[in-house]
Amino acid sequence: MKVLAGRIAIAVAVLALWEAVAAPLNPLFYIRPSVLPGALVAMWRVPELPPLAEHVWLTVKEIAAAYAIAVAAGLWLGFLLGLRTTVGRVYEPLLAALYAVPSVIWYPSLMLFFGLGPASKIAFGVLLGFFPVVLSVLAGVRQVPPTLVTVARSMGARPFTVFRKVMLPAMASTMVGGLRAALALAVVGVLVGEILGARAGVGYVISYAYGLMMTREYAVLAVLVGAGVLALDTAGALVEARVKRWAG
Amino acid sequence: MGRLGVLGCQALSLGALLLLWEAAVRTGVADPLFVPTPVAVAAALGPTAREALPRLGDTLLKALLGYALAVGLGVLGGLWLGSRRFAHAVAMPYVVAAYGVPKVLVLPWIVLICGLGTTTAVLTATLFAVFPILLMVAAGARDVDPTLVTAAVAMGATRGQVSRKVLLPAVMPSVVAGMRVGIVFAMLGVLLAEMFAGTRGMGFLMQRMALAFRASDLFAATAIVSVLSIVVVLSLEHLSRRLSRWR
Repeated sequence: MKVLAGRIAIAVAVLALWEAVAAPLNPLFYIRPSVLPGALVAMWRVPELPPLAEHVWLTVKEIAAAYAIAVAAGLWLGFLLGLRTTVGRVYEPLLAALYAVPSVIWYPSLMLFFGLGPASKIAFGVLLGFFPVVLSVLAGVRQVPPTLVTVARSMGARPFTVFRKVMLPAMASTMVGGLRAALALAVVGVLVGEILGARAGVGYVISYAYGLMMTREYAVLAVLVGAGVLALDTAGALVEARVKRWAG
Repeated sequence: MGRLGVLGCQALSLGALLLLWEAAVRTGVADPLFVPTPVAVAAALGPTAREALPRLGDTLLKALLGYALAVGLGVLGGLWLGSRRFAHAVAMPYVVAAYGVPKVLVLPWIVLICGLGTTTAVLTATLFAVFPILLMVAAGARDVDPTLVTAAVAMGATRGQVSRKVLLPAVMPSVVAGMRVGIVFAMLGVLLAEMFAGTRGMGFLMQRMALAFRASDLFAATAIVSVLSIVVVLSLEHLSRRLSRWR
């Protein structure tokens, strides 16, 4: 109860402080929180921006495509490297080194190669989402107790049964963490791509509003998209908790 | 397979990849306008490096400034949040939410207020790097074994001694882990800010190369930044291994 009161107090204090600091300053740059609801209603009534629903839908499709490809490629490579120790020892350091590169620097090349359309956003989302999947599968495979695998095999379990009944439960919680991080990064990749240069998608609308100095509209969009991403991430956290309970 | 064998295999695979890439462009599978051959990239390395080095210095300096701010804020905030139960319970959902929200969404606003210059890039770097550091340090500070503290106090250690001799060594690994993650995020923040609204710096240069279809220069610049950041991260890793030995 006290904790909840504290949380509400922080939120109220931050908003009030922001309101007070921004009040005497230029309202075009220092957007006060209190103008946001009004701006949202105005946007709803008199749409000056490109039609939002289409752009949101496009972004959702881009994210879904990027996530699907990143997970498929990441699982494949992760198991390939994790189950064959020799291959893993050769390529894992290379992957780790690539992971140390700040990922935005790939974006200009991707944009050059895939153009300004959805393909470059999907490619960037894949690139970002791919690493956490591979690395979590590798970490997960290492967590499987080898004695359990040996025991199951000596009792006559087939390779697929060993995988399903022994390996998967032992590595599930690590892997699911990676899959959740990958979703967050696929979202970031698509949004970054759209904001840096696109002709469609939510990020494009944000860039568009910002470019026309429609700062209130920009702020409303940023808050809405941020809330949407948080909701998605919370759903991911619930799934992760469930899988962890299943895996024990 | 020994260490040398692994290194040999890595070199061989990289070489094979480069050959395959060269062949793909030469045979017309990939368009050289968008994908330059490795030979062309290698030829572009020299001139690009000359163009890039001053900008890279600019970018690195901004990243380091933002990183220093993020480490300061993140470590202090993390220690504070990790050691107070109530503050942790109250503030953690906000920190996690701030960590989860894509920071690109705030970037236009920072540009509006701070302009196109250094401040924007430094602040973006701080914004990107501070939350992972904060979260890792807070988790580390929470996981300090309380019996260690009790034992030290029971044997007559002062508050300062407890912080220096018990808490600091116990938290050190998570601080170093946070710092290692933070440096990549700080560089990412600066490069992104420069790509979005830069007038100088490496991110700006790369974005311009892409828009001007200078493919081989762009690939060379990408290679230079990649190698640089890998070197930075590997040396931090080396440092953290030495620190853990000290512990």
